[in-house]
Amino acid sequence: MMVITACALSAMAAAAPPTIFAAASLQPALDQLAHDGALGSPAPHLVYAASSALARQIESGAPADLFISADERWMDDAARRDAILPSTRSDLLGNALVLIAPASSHAAVDLAHGIPPLLDALGSDGRLAIALPDSVPAGIYARQSLLHLGMWSALEPRMAMSRDVRAALNLVLLRQCPLGIVYRSDAVSEPRVKVLATFPAASHKPIVYPVAIVRGHDSADSRALLAALESPRAKAVFRHWGFTQPPDAKQAVVAKPTDPSTHRHEGGRAAPRTQRGGRHGG
Amino acid sequence: MSPLTPAETVALALSFKIALVGVFCSLPVAISCAWLLARKRFFGKPLFEGLLLLPLILPPVVTGYVLLIVFGHHGAIGRWLDAVGLSIAFRWTGAALAAAVMAFPLLVVALRNAFESVDRRLESAAATLGAGAWRIFFSVTLPLSLRGLVAGLALAFARAFGEFGATITFVSSIPGQTRTLPIALYELISMPGGEGGALRLTLVAVIVALLAGLIAALMLLRGGERSAGAEA
Repeated sequence: MMVITACALSAMAAAAPPTIFAAASLQPALDQLAHDGALGSPAPHLVYAASSALARQIESGAPADLFISADERWMDDAARRDAILPSTRSDLLGNALVLIAPASSHAAVDLAHGIPPLLDALGSDGRLAIALPDSVPAGIYARQSLLHLGMWSALEPRMAMSRDVRAALNLVLLRQCPLGIVYRSDAVSEPRVKVLATFPAASHKPIVYPVAIVRGHDSADSRALLAALESPRAKAVFRHWGFTQPPDAKQAVVAKPTDPSTHRHEGGRAAPRTQRGGRHGG
Repeated sequence: MSPLTPAETVALALSFKIALVGVFCSLPVAISCAWLLARKRFFGKPLFEGLLLLPLILPPVVTGYVLLIVFGHHGAIGRWLDAVGLSIAFRWTGAALAAAVMAFPLLVVALRNAFESVDRRLESAAATLGAGAWRIFFSVTLPLSLRGLVAGLALAFARAFGEFGATITFVSSIPGQTRTLPIALYELISMPGGEGGALRLTLVAVIVALLAGLIAALMLLRGGERSAGAEA
Protein backbone atom coordinates (compact mmCIF):
# COMPACT_ATOMS: atom_id res chain seq x y z
CA MET A 1 0.00 0.00 0.00
CA MET A 2 2.80 2.37 1.00
CA VAL A 3 4.71 1.49 -2.15
CA ILE A 4 1.70 2.31 -4.32
CA THR A 5 1.19 5.64 -2.54
CA ALA A 6 4.85 6.52 -2.92
CA CYS A 7 4.77 5.67 -6.63
CA ALA A 8 1.65 7.73 -7.12
CA LEU A 9 3.13 10.71 -5.31
CA SER A 10 6.39 10.60 -7.23
CA ALA A 11 4.49 10.26 -10.47
CA MET A 12 2.49 13.35 -9.56
CA ALA A 13 5.69 15.19 -8.68
CA ALA A 14 7.29 14.20 -11.96
CA ALA A 15 4.33 15.59 -13.87
CA ALA A 16 4.16 18.82 -11.83
CA PRO A 17 4.54 21.98 -13.92
CA PRO A 18 7.55 24.20 -13.26
CA THR A 19 7.27 27.16 -10.91
CA ILE A 20 8.38 30.70 -11.65
CA PHE A 21 8.91 33.17 -8.83
CA ALA A 22 8.39 36.51 -10.58
CA ALA A 23 8.46 40.15 -9.53
CA ALA A 24 4.94 41.44 -8.90
CA SER A 25 5.04 43.84 -11.85
CA LEU A 26 5.23 40.93 -14.26
CA GLN A 27 1.80 39.61 -13.35
CA PRO A 28 -0.36 40.73 -16.30
CA ALA A 29 2.24 39.82 -18.92
CA LEU A 30 3.16 36.42 -17.50
CA ASP A 31 -0.47 35.56 -16.84
CA GLN A 32 -1.24 36.21 -20.49
CA LEU A 33 1.74 34.20 -21.70
CA ALA A 34 0.80 31.25 -19.53
CA HIS A 35 -2.84 31.49 -20.57
CA ASP A 36 -1.92 31.58 -24.26
CA GLY A 37 0.23 28.49 -23.86
CA ALA A 38 3.41 30.34 -24.76
CA LEU A 39 5.19 28.99 -21.69
CA GLY A 40 4.62 25.34 -22.45
CA SER A 41 2.01 22.91 -21.35
CA PRO A 42 1.04 22.40 -18.60
CA ALA A 43 1.39 26.10 -17.87
CA PRO A 44 3.88 26.89 -15.09
CA HIS A 45 2.86 27.91 -11.58
CA LEU A 46 3.36 31.64 -11.27
CA VAL A 47 4.14 33.11 -7.87
CA TYR A 48 4.20 36.90 -7.63
CA ALA A 49 5.55 39.07 -4.83
CA ALA A 50 8.12 41.77 -4.25
CA SER A 51 11.53 40.63 -5.54
CA SER A 52 12.91 41.07 -2.03
CA ALA A 53 10.43 38.61 -0.54
CA LEU A 54 10.96 36.11 -3.37
CA ALA A 55 14.74 36.26 -3.13
CA ARG A 56 14.61 35.62 0.61
CA GLN A 57 12.37 32.62 0.05
CA ILE A 58 14.51 31.16 -2.71
CA GLU A 59 17.60 31.62 -0.59
CA SER A 60 15.85 29.57 2.07
CA GLY A 61 15.10 26.79 -0.37
CA ALA A 62 11.67 27.63 -1.76
CA PRO A 63 10.81 25.25 -4.63
CA ALA A 64 11.03 27.69 -7.52
CA ASP A 65 12.53 26.63 -10.85
CA LEU A 66 13.05 30.10 -12.27
CA PHE A 67 13.45 33.48 -10.60
CA ILE A 68 12.75 36.78 -12.34
CA SER A 69 13.76 39.77 -10.25
CA ALA A 70 12.86 43.42 -10.89
CA ASP A 71 16.39 44.56 -10.17
CA GLU A 72 19.93 43.29 -10.26
CA ARG A 73 20.47 43.79 -6.54
CA TRP A 74 18.14 40.95 -5.52
CA MET A 75 19.45 38.62 -8.22
CA ASP A 76 22.97 39.46 -7.03
CA ASP A 77 21.86 38.67 -3.48
CA ALA A 78 20.53 35.28 -4.60
CA ALA A 79 23.76 34.63 -6.52
CA ARG A 80 25.85 35.58 -3.49
CA ARG A 81 23.98 33.04 -1.40
CA ASP A 82 24.41 30.42 -4.07
CA ALA A 83 20.69 30.13 -4.71
CA ILE A 84 20.80 30.49 -8.50
CA LEU A 85 22.93 29.17 -11.33
CA PRO A 86 24.97 32.17 -12.56
CA SER A 87 25.62 30.54 -15.93
CA THR A 88 21.88 30.65 -16.67
CA ARG A 89 21.43 34.29 -15.69
CA SER A 90 20.50 36.83 -18.35
CA ASP A 91 18.73 40.16 -18.59
CA LEU A 92 15.20 39.61 -19.74
CA LEU A 93 13.45 42.97 -19.71
CA GLY A 94 13.66 46.66 -19.02
CA ASN A 95 11.05 49.11 -17.77
CA ALA A 96 10.50 52.76 -16.97
CA LEU A 97 9.38 54.51 -13.81
CA VAL A 98 6.31 56.71 -13.96
CA LEU A 99 4.26 59.01 -11.75
CA ILE A 100 0.60 58.07 -11.87
CA ALA A 101 -2.73 59.41 -10.66
CA PRO A 102 -6.27 58.00 -10.68
CA ALA A 103 -7.80 58.25 -14.15
CA SER A 104 -10.32 60.77 -12.85
CA SER A 105 -7.62 63.09 -11.51
CA HIS A 106 -7.14 66.58 -12.97
CA ALA A 107 -3.59 66.89 -11.76
CA ALA A 108 -0.87 67.94 -14.19
CA VAL A 109 2.75 67.47 -13.28
CA ASP A 110 5.89 68.45 -15.09
CA LEU A 111 8.88 67.05 -13.24
CA ALA A 112 11.04 69.84 -14.61
CA HIS A 113 9.09 72.32 -12.49
CA GLY A 114 10.25 70.74 -9.26
CA ILE A 115 8.19 69.80 -6.30
CA PRO A 116 5.30 72.36 -6.17
CA PRO A 117 3.09 70.57 -8.76
CA LEU A 118 3.44 67.32 -6.81
CA LEU A 119 2.56 68.95 -3.51
CA ASP A 120 -0.42 70.59 -5.22
CA ALA A 121 -1.59 67.25 -6.49
CA LEU A 122 -1.24 65.72 -3.02
CA GLY A 123 -3.34 68.42 -1.46
CA SER A 124 -3.49 68.84 2.29
CA ASP A 125 -3.53 65.21 3.38
CA GLY A 126 -3.08 63.11 0.27
CA ARG A 127 -0.28 60.54 0.20
CA LEU A 128 2.14 59.34 -2.44
CA ALA A 129 1.82 55.59 -2.93
CA ILE A 130 5.17 53.92 -3.32
CA ALA A 131 6.66 50.47 -2.77
CA LEU A 132 8.91 50.07 0.30
CA PRO A 133 11.97 52.14 -0.64
CA ASP A 134 14.47 50.07 1.36
CA SER A 135 13.76 46.69 -0.15
CA VAL A 136 11.29 46.55 -3.04
CA PRO A 137 12.94 47.36 -6.40
CA ALA A 138 10.21 49.77 -7.50
CA GLY A 139 10.65 51.66 -4.22
CA ILE A 140 14.42 51.64 -4.56
CA TYR A 141 14.28 53.08 -8.08
CA ALA A 142 11.70 55.63 -6.92
CA ARG A 143 13.94 56.81 -4.10
CA GLN A 144 16.90 57.08 -6.48
CA SER A 145 14.84 59.22 -8.85
CA LEU A 146 13.41 61.45 -6.15
CA LEU A 147 16.84 61.95 -4.59
CA HIS A 148 18.25 62.81 -8.00
CA LEU A 149 15.48 65.36 -8.58
CA GLY A 150 15.90 66.80 -5.09
CA MET A 151 12.34 65.88 -4.10
CA TRP A 152 12.95 63.07 -1.63
CA SER A 153 13.14 64.96 1.67
CA ALA A 154 9.99 66.97 0.95
CA LEU A 155 8.00 63.94 -0.17
CA GLU A 156 9.19 61.34 2.33
CA PRO A 157 6.80 62.41 5.12
CA ARG A 158 3.93 62.28 2.61
CA MET A 159 4.41 58.68 1.53
CA ALA A 160 2.34 55.53 2.03
CA MET A 161 4.62 52.55 1.51
CA SER A 162 3.32 49.21 0.28
CA ARG A 163 4.63 45.65 0.21
CA ASP A 164 5.06 45.62 -3.53
CA VAL A 165 4.53 47.81 -6.57
CA ARG A 166 1.15 46.28 -7.44
CA ALA A 167 -0.15 47.17 -3.96
CA ALA A 168 0.98 50.77 -4.57
CA LEU A 169 -0.78 50.71 -7.95
CA ASN A 170 -3.88 49.41 -6.19
CA LEU A 171 -3.94 52.35 -3.78
CA VAL A 172 -3.97 54.79 -6.69
CA LEU A 173 -6.58 53.00 -8.77
CA LEU A 174 -8.85 52.74 -5.71
CA ARG A 175 -8.42 56.53 -5.38
CA GLN A 176 -6.98 56.14 -1.89
CA CYS A 177 -3.85 58.04 -2.96
CA PRO A 178 -3.79 60.95 -5.42
CA LEU A 179 -0.30 60.07 -6.67
CA GLY A 180 1.83 56.96 -7.00
CA ILE A 181 5.16 55.85 -8.39
CA VAL A 182 5.04 52.56 -10.28
CA TYR A 183 6.52 51.00 -13.39
CA ARG A 184 5.23 52.08 -16.77
CA SER A 185 4.16 48.48 -17.35
CA ASP A 186 1.85 48.74 -14.31
CA ALA A 187 0.28 51.92 -15.66
CA VAL A 188 -0.20 50.39 -19.10
CA SER A 189 -1.99 47.39 -17.64
CA GLU A 190 -4.48 49.44 -15.64
CA PRO A 191 -7.06 51.70 -17.30
CA ARG A 192 -8.12 53.21 -13.96
CA VAL A 193 -4.83 55.11 -13.63
CA LYS A 194 -3.07 57.51 -15.93
CA VAL A 195 0.56 58.49 -16.34
CA LEU A 196 1.33 62.08 -15.32
CA ALA A 197 5.06 61.99 -15.98
CA THR A 198 7.93 59.62 -16.67
CA PHE A 199 11.03 59.78 -14.48
CA PRO A 200 14.12 60.38 -16.61
CA ALA A 201 16.06 57.17 -17.13
CA ALA A 202 19.19 58.93 -15.97
CA SER A 203 17.64 59.67 -12.56
CA HIS A 204 17.76 56.06 -11.41
CA LYS A 205 19.79 52.90 -11.98
CA PRO A 206 18.73 51.23 -15.23
CA ILE A 207 15.68 49.10 -14.58
CA VAL A 208 16.67 45.54 -15.44
CA TYR A 209 14.76 42.29 -14.92
CA PRO A 210 17.30 39.48 -14.68
CA VAL A 211 16.14 35.88 -14.96
CA ALA A 212 17.96 32.76 -13.78
CA ILE A 213 17.40 29.10 -13.02
CA VAL A 214 17.33 28.28 -9.32
CA ARG A 215 20.13 26.03 -8.08
CA GLY A 216 18.99 22.43 -7.86
CA HIS A 217 16.24 22.97 -10.40
CA ASP A 218 18.24 22.75 -13.60
CA SER A 219 16.31 20.49 -15.94
CA ALA A 220 15.15 20.26 -19.51
CA ASP A 221 11.83 21.78 -18.44
CA SER A 222 13.50 24.73 -16.74
CA ARG A 223 15.75 25.40 -19.73
CA ALA A 224 12.79 25.16 -22.09
CA LEU A 225 10.84 27.60 -19.93
CA LEU A 226 13.77 30.01 -19.93
CA ALA A 227 13.97 29.79 -23.71
CA ALA A 228 10.21 30.41 -23.96
CA LEU A 229 10.56 33.56 -21.88
CA GLU A 230 13.29 34.82 -24.20
CA SER A 231 11.44 33.94 -27.39
CA PRO A 232 10.21 36.61 -29.84
CA ARG A 233 6.61 35.67 -29.04
CA ALA A 234 7.17 36.38 -25.35
CA LYS A 235 9.02 39.59 -26.17
CA ALA A 236 6.05 40.81 -28.17
CA VAL A 237 3.70 40.18 -25.26
CA PHE A 238 6.04 41.89 -22.79
CA ARG A 239 6.23 44.89 -25.11
CA HIS A 240 2.44 44.99 -25.35
CA TRP A 241 2.30 45.22 -21.56
CA GLY A 242 4.72 48.14 -21.44
CA PHE A 243 8.06 46.47 -20.85
CA THR A 244 11.13 47.34 -22.89
CA GLN A 245 14.25 45.57 -23.99
CA PRO A 246 16.79 45.42 -21.18
CA PRO A 247 19.36 48.22 -21.29
CA ASP A 248 22.47 47.33 -23.30
CA ALA A 249 20.58 44.51 -24.98
CA LYS A 250 22.85 42.94 -27.52
CA GLN A 251 20.13 41.13 -29.40
CA ALA A 252 18.40 42.89 -32.27
CA VAL A 253 14.81 43.80 -31.65
CA VAL A 254 12.71 41.81 -34.10
CA ALA A 255 9.31 43.50 -34.08
CA LYS A 256 8.71 47.22 -34.24
CA PRO A 257 7.85 49.01 -30.99
CA THR A 258 4.15 49.53 -30.26
CA ASP A 259 2.41 52.41 -28.55
CA PRO A 260 1.14 51.14 -25.17
CA SER A 261 -1.83 53.51 -25.05
CA THR A 262 -3.46 51.99 -28.13
CA HIS A 263 -3.14 48.50 -26.71
CA ARG A 264 -4.51 49.21 -23.27
CA HIS A 265 -7.75 47.30 -23.71
CA GLU A 266 -6.45 44.50 -25.86
CA GLY A 267 -5.46 41.08 -24.82
CA GLY A 268 -7.52 40.94 -21.71
CA ARG A 269 -6.15 39.83 -18.38
CA ALA A 270 -6.08 36.16 -17.65
CA ALA A 271 -5.17 34.83 -14.25
CA PRO A 272 -4.69 31.08 -14.45
CA ARG A 273 -3.43 29.26 -11.36
CA THR A 274 -1.56 32.14 -9.81
CA GLN A 275 -0.91 32.73 -6.16
CA ARG A 276 0.49 35.65 -4.23
CA GLY A 277 3.72 34.60 -2.64
CA GLY A 278 5.63 36.30 0.09
CA ARG A 279 2.76 36.23 2.49
CA HIS A 280 3.97 36.78 6.00
CA GLY A 281 1.11 35.46 8.08
CA GLY A 282 -0.75 37.62 10.56
CA MET B 1 21.44 54.01 25.77
CA SER B 2 18.49 52.17 24.31
CA PRO B 3 19.30 48.84 22.66
CA LEU B 4 16.92 49.80 19.82
CA THR B 5 17.47 52.36 17.09
CA PRO B 6 15.21 55.45 17.13
CA ALA B 7 13.15 54.09 14.24
CA GLU B 8 12.66 50.78 16.03
CA THR B 9 11.67 52.56 19.25
CA VAL B 10 9.08 54.59 17.34
CA ALA B 11 7.66 51.38 15.85
CA LEU B 12 7.52 49.74 19.27
CA ALA B 13 5.79 52.69 20.93
CA LEU B 14 3.36 52.93 18.02
CA SER B 15 2.51 49.24 18.31
CA PHE B 16 1.73 49.64 22.00
CA LYS B 17 -0.43 52.69 21.38
CA ILE B 18 -2.31 51.10 18.49
CA ALA B 19 -2.91 47.77 20.24
CA LEU B 20 -4.02 49.36 23.53
CA VAL B 21 -6.35 51.87 21.89
CA GLY B 22 -7.72 49.27 19.49
CA VAL B 23 -8.46 46.66 22.12
CA PHE B 24 -9.87 48.99 24.77
CA CYS B 25 -12.10 50.82 22.29
CA SER B 26 -13.49 47.51 21.05
CA LEU B 27 -14.08 46.28 24.62
CA PRO B 28 -17.64 47.65 25.00
CA VAL B 29 -18.65 46.07 21.69
CA ALA B 30 -16.96 42.81 22.61
CA ILE B 31 -18.62 42.73 26.03
CA SER B 32 -22.03 43.32 24.45
CA CYS B 33 -21.56 40.59 21.85
CA ALA B 34 -20.14 38.14 24.38
CA TRP B 35 -23.00 38.79 26.79
CA LEU B 36 -25.56 38.21 24.02
CA LEU B 37 -23.88 34.94 23.10
CA ALA B 38 -23.60 33.81 26.72
CA ARG B 39 -27.00 34.80 28.04
CA LYS B 40 -29.47 35.15 25.20
CA ARG B 41 -31.02 32.90 22.63
CA PHE B 42 -32.20 34.54 19.43
CA PHE B 43 -32.92 33.76 15.82
CA GLY B 44 -29.77 33.69 13.70
CA LYS B 45 -27.44 33.21 16.67
CA PRO B 46 -25.15 30.73 14.85
CA LEU B 47 -24.85 33.14 11.92
CA PHE B 48 -24.03 35.95 14.32
CA GLU B 49 -21.34 33.82 15.93
CA GLY B 50 -19.94 32.95 12.52
CA LEU B 51 -19.73 36.59 11.50
CA LEU B 52 -17.91 37.48 14.71
CA LEU B 53 -15.33 34.79 14.02
CA LEU B 54 -14.76 35.94 10.44
CA PRO B 55 -11.57 37.98 11.08
CA LEU B 56 -10.06 34.86 12.61
CA ILE B 57 -10.73 32.79 9.50
CA LEU B 58 -10.36 35.19 6.59
CA PRO B 59 -6.84 35.87 5.34
CA PRO B 60 -5.73 39.07 7.09
CA VAL B 61 -5.01 40.72 3.74
CA VAL B 62 -8.67 40.21 2.78
CA THR B 63 -9.82 41.82 6.02
CA GLY B 64 -7.44 44.70 5.35
CA TYR B 65 -8.80 45.09 1.84
CA VAL B 66 -12.39 45.18 3.12
CA LEU B 67 -11.36 47.85 5.65
CA LEU B 68 -9.73 49.81 2.82
CA ILE B 69 -12.88 49.67 0.68
CA VAL B 70 -15.19 50.61 3.55
CA PHE B 71 -13.13 53.03 5.65
CA GLY B 72 -10.71 54.38 3.07
CA HIS B 73 -11.27 57.57 1.09
CA HIS B 74 -14.52 57.37 -0.91
CA GLY B 75 -15.51 54.31 1.09
CA ALA B 76 -19.05 53.68 2.32
CA ILE B 77 -18.11 54.87 5.81
CA GLY B 78 -14.84 56.53 4.87
CA ARG B 79 -16.48 59.29 2.87
CA TRP B 80 -18.50 60.39 5.91
CA LEU B 81 -15.41 60.31 8.09
CA ASP B 82 -13.58 62.40 5.51
CA ALA B 83 -16.46 64.87 5.39
CA VAL B 84 -16.33 65.52 9.15
CA GLY B 85 -12.54 65.54 9.23
CA LEU B 86 -12.23 62.26 11.14
CA SER B 87 -10.56 60.28 8.41
CA ILE B 88 -8.73 57.16 9.59
CA ALA B 89 -7.17 56.29 6.23
CA PHE B 90 -3.37 56.19 6.46
CA ARG B 91 -3.50 57.15 10.13
CA TRP B 92 -2.66 55.34 13.34
CA THR B 93 -6.36 55.28 14.13
CA GLY B 94 -6.87 53.18 11.00
CA ALA B 95 -4.14 50.83 12.18
CA ALA B 96 -5.91 50.66 15.56
CA LEU B 97 -9.14 49.67 13.83
CA ALA B 98 -7.36 46.97 11.83
CA ALA B 99 -5.73 45.62 14.99
CA ALA B 100 -9.03 45.75 16.89
CA VAL B 101 -10.92 43.90 14.15
CA MET B 102 -8.31 41.16 13.98
CA ALA B 103 -8.23 40.72 17.76
CA PHE B 104 -12.02 40.95 18.18
CA PRO B 105 -12.83 37.21 17.86
CA LEU B 106 -10.29 36.33 20.55
CA LEU B 107 -11.73 38.91 22.89
CA VAL B 108 -15.33 37.84 22.33
CA VAL B 109 -14.61 34.15 22.80
CA ALA B 110 -12.68 34.76 26.02
CA LEU B 111 -15.35 37.10 27.39
CA ARG B 112 -18.12 34.70 26.48
CA ASN B 113 -16.40 31.88 28.34
CA ALA B 114 -15.95 34.18 31.32
CA PHE B 115 -19.64 35.15 31.37
CA GLU B 116 -20.77 31.58 30.93
CA SER B 117 -18.70 30.53 33.92
CA VAL B 118 -20.57 32.93 36.22
CA ASP B 119 -23.16 31.10 38.30
CA ARG B 120 -26.58 32.14 37.01
CA ARG B 121 -28.12 31.49 40.37
CA LEU B 122 -26.21 34.45 41.74
CA GLU B 123 -27.67 36.61 38.98
CA SER B 124 -31.17 35.30 39.73
CA ALA B 125 -30.64 36.00 43.40
CA ALA B 126 -29.72 39.58 42.59
CA ALA B 127 -32.85 39.86 40.48
CA THR B 128 -35.05 38.62 43.30
CA LEU B 129 -33.50 41.29 45.49
CA GLY B 130 -34.70 43.89 42.99
CA ALA B 131 -31.65 44.58 40.82
CA GLY B 132 -32.27 45.58 37.19
CA ALA B 133 -30.38 43.99 34.28
CA TRP B 134 -27.65 46.65 34.15
CA ARG B 135 -27.12 46.51 37.93
CA ILE B 136 -26.90 42.72 37.79
CA PHE B 137 -24.30 42.93 35.08
CA PHE B 138 -22.07 45.49 36.76
CA SER B 139 -22.48 44.20 40.33
CA VAL B 140 -22.53 40.46 39.81
CA THR B 141 -21.58 39.24 36.33
CA LEU B 142 -18.69 41.56 35.55
CA PRO B 143 -16.81 41.29 38.87
CA LEU B 144 -17.10 37.51 38.84
CA SER B 145 -15.80 37.30 35.27
CA LEU B 146 -12.94 39.73 35.83
CA ARG B 147 -10.20 37.13 35.57
CA GLY B 148 -11.54 35.86 32.27
CA LEU B 149 -11.85 39.43 31.06
CA VAL B 150 -8.24 40.22 31.90
CA ALA B 151 -7.11 36.99 30.21
CA GLY B 152 -9.13 37.90 27.11
CA LEU B 153 -7.68 41.38 27.06
CA ALA B 154 -4.16 39.99 27.34
CA LEU B 155 -4.69 37.62 24.42
CA ALA B 156 -6.46 40.24 22.33
CA PHE B 157 -3.68 42.74 23.04
CA ALA B 158 -1.05 40.21 21.96
CA ARG B 159 -2.97 39.56 18.73
CA ALA B 160 -3.44 43.26 18.07
CA PHE B 161 0.24 43.93 18.81
CA GLY B 162 1.36 41.32 16.30
CA GLU B 163 -1.10 42.30 13.58
CA PHE B 164 0.53 42.69 10.16
CA GLY B 165 -1.43 41.70 7.03
CA ALA B 166 -4.59 43.72 7.57
CA THR B 167 -2.64 46.74 8.77
CA ILE B 168 -0.23 46.99 5.86
CA THR B 169 -3.03 46.41 3.35
CA PHE B 170 -5.34 49.02 4.87
CA VAL B 171 -3.02 51.81 6.02
CA SER B 172 0.32 50.87 4.38
CA SER B 173 3.60 51.58 6.13
CA ILE B 174 4.07 55.17 7.25
CA PRO B 175 6.84 55.74 9.78
CA GLY B 176 5.45 57.31 12.94
CA GLN B 177 1.83 56.73 11.90
CA THR B 178 1.22 53.15 10.82
CA ARG B 179 4.61 51.44 10.73
CA THR B 180 4.07 49.11 13.65
CA LEU B 181 6.65 46.70 15.05
CA PRO B 182 5.56 43.76 12.84
CA ILE B 183 5.73 45.97 9.74
CA ALA B 184 9.13 47.32 10.72
CA LEU B 185 10.21 43.72 11.27
CA TYR B 186 9.01 42.74 7.80
CA GLU B 187 10.89 45.64 6.26
CA LEU B 188 14.07 44.72 8.10
CA ILE B 189 14.05 41.09 7.06
CA SER B 190 13.53 42.20 3.46
CA MET B 191 16.60 44.44 3.53
CA PRO B 192 20.08 43.06 3.07
CA GLY B 193 21.85 43.95 6.32
CA GLY B 194 18.66 44.30 8.29
CA GLU B 195 19.14 41.06 10.18
CA GLY B 196 20.44 42.75 13.34
CA GLY B 197 17.43 44.99 13.70
CA ALA B 198 15.14 42.10 12.80
CA LEU B 199 16.59 40.03 15.62
CA ARG B 200 16.17 42.86 18.14
CA LEU B 201 12.56 43.43 17.18
CA THR B 202 11.84 39.70 17.19
CA LEU B 203 13.13 39.46 20.76
CA VAL B 204 10.90 42.36 21.78
CA ALA B 205 7.89 40.75 20.10
CA VAL B 206 8.60 37.42 21.80
CA ILE B 207 8.86 39.11 25.21
CA VAL B 208 5.55 40.92 24.72
CA ALA B 209 3.85 37.73 23.58
CA LEU B 210 5.23 35.70 26.51
CA LEU B 211 4.12 38.33 29.02
CA ALA B 212 0.63 38.42 27.55
CA GLY B 213 0.42 34.65 27.51
CA LEU B 214 1.67 34.48 31.10
CA ILE B 215 -0.97 36.95 32.28
CA ALA B 216 -3.70 35.04 30.48
CA ALA B 217 -2.56 31.71 31.85
CA LEU B 218 -2.31 33.01 35.42
CA MET B 219 -5.75 34.57 35.25
CA LEU B 220 -7.39 31.46 33.88
CA LEU B 221 -5.56 29.18 36.29
CA ARG B 222 -6.58 31.16 39.37
CA GLY B 223 -10.10 31.53 38.07
CA GLY B 224 -10.39 27.75 37.73
CA GLU B 225 -9.10 27.15 41.27
CA ARG B 226 -11.45 29.68 42.76
CA SER B 227 -14.61 28.32 41.18
CA ALA B 228 -13.56 24.79 42.12
CA GLY B 229 -13.05 26.00 45.71
CA ALA B 230 -16.41 27.80 45.73
CA GLU B 231 -18.27 24.63 44.82
CA ALA B 232 -16.46 22.52 47.39
